[in-house]
Amino acid sequence: MATTTATVSITSNDLTPGSALSVSASSTLMKAGLTTGLNQMESGVMNIPTSIEFRLGPLATQAGPVADNTHNIGSYLYICNKSTDNTYWVDWGIHETMMGRLYAGDWMFIPWNASDDDAEIEIEANTGTNSIEWAFFNSTVALPTAAA
Amino acid sequence: MATISASINIGSDISSYPIAISKTMTMKKAGTIIGLDETLGLKTKKFNSTTAAEIATAADLTNDGAHKLYVRNASTNKANFFYVAYHATDAGAATAETIGKLYGGDWMLMPYNGSTDINVASSTTDIQYLEYMVFADGVVAAAG
Repeated sequence: MATTTATVSITSNDLTPGSALSVSASSTLMKAGLTTGLNQMESGVMNIPTSIEFRLGPLATQAGPVADNTHNIGSYLYICNKSTDNTYWVDWGIHETMMGRLYAGDWMFIPWNASDDDAEIEIEANTGTNSIEWAFFNSTVALPTAAA
Repeated sequence: MATISASINIGSDISSYPIAISKTMTMKKAGTIIGLDETLGLKTKKFNSTTAAEIATAADLTNDGAHKLYVRNASTNKANFFYVAYHATDAGAATAETIGKLYGGDWMLMPYNGSTDINVASSTTDIQYLEYMVFADGVVAAAG
C-alpha cells in the first residue's frame, strides 16, 4: 500500500493584529471511504497559451472500468502556476463554471470529483502563456482506450 | 497590507521515484503584489445531519477577486465525508456541482473568485466537524 501525505501550513503575523494566525493540517490520501492509500498518480508540467479552455485530467470514461456518475472515487488534484509575472493568471473551473484564478506563484489542492464529465477541470491562461505544474492522485483512473 | 503565507508539502511512495512537492505562496490581491488583508474568520461548525450549509457566500465578497478558501474535515473517520459543491443549495449526493469529497482529516485550499456560493453537506448524521476560512480580496461593505 502506498502512502501519500499532504500537509498545509497557513501563517500570518499581521492579518489579525494581536493574534498571529497559524493553521496547519496533514492528511494521508486514502481510497474513497477506506483506510487504504491511493495507488495511482499522474502529473505534468504544461505551458498553457491564452484564449483556449483546456481540460486537465481524465474524463469520466477514464475513471474506472465502467463510467458512472456516483462521485464515489477518492481523488485529489494539485495545481501550481509556475509563472512569475504577477499579472499572469490561469482561470480554473469545473465544466463551464469558473471557480477562481490561479495567479503566478499560486497553488491549489482540492479533492476532485473526477467521475463525472460535468465535473471536468477546465483551465484557461490569461495575459500570456502560463506554465502550470499539476499532480493528480487517485485509485481508479484508467488509461484512455487505444485507437483500433 | 498583510502577509499570508501558505505552504504545501506532498510526499508519496506511489512510484519508484520520490515524489516530494513543496511550494509556498503569498496570498496577493488580484494581479498585484499587495497582500490580502481581509478574512471572514476561521470557523468551526458541527454537523449532525446531512442538511447542506453554505460556507462561502458570493454576495459577501468582491466579484472576480483573488480570494482563497481553506476547508478541512476536522473529524478523523475516513468512512465519512463532506460533499463540497458550488452553487447547489443541496450539496449532497451526485450533483454535477460537486467539487469533491473531503473525508475525515482531508483538507483543501483553492483560489476562489467569489462569484459562486460554496456549500457543503455531511454524508452522515454522525457528528462531524468542519473547519473553514475565507481569505478575502475584498469584503463588501455590508458583510463581515
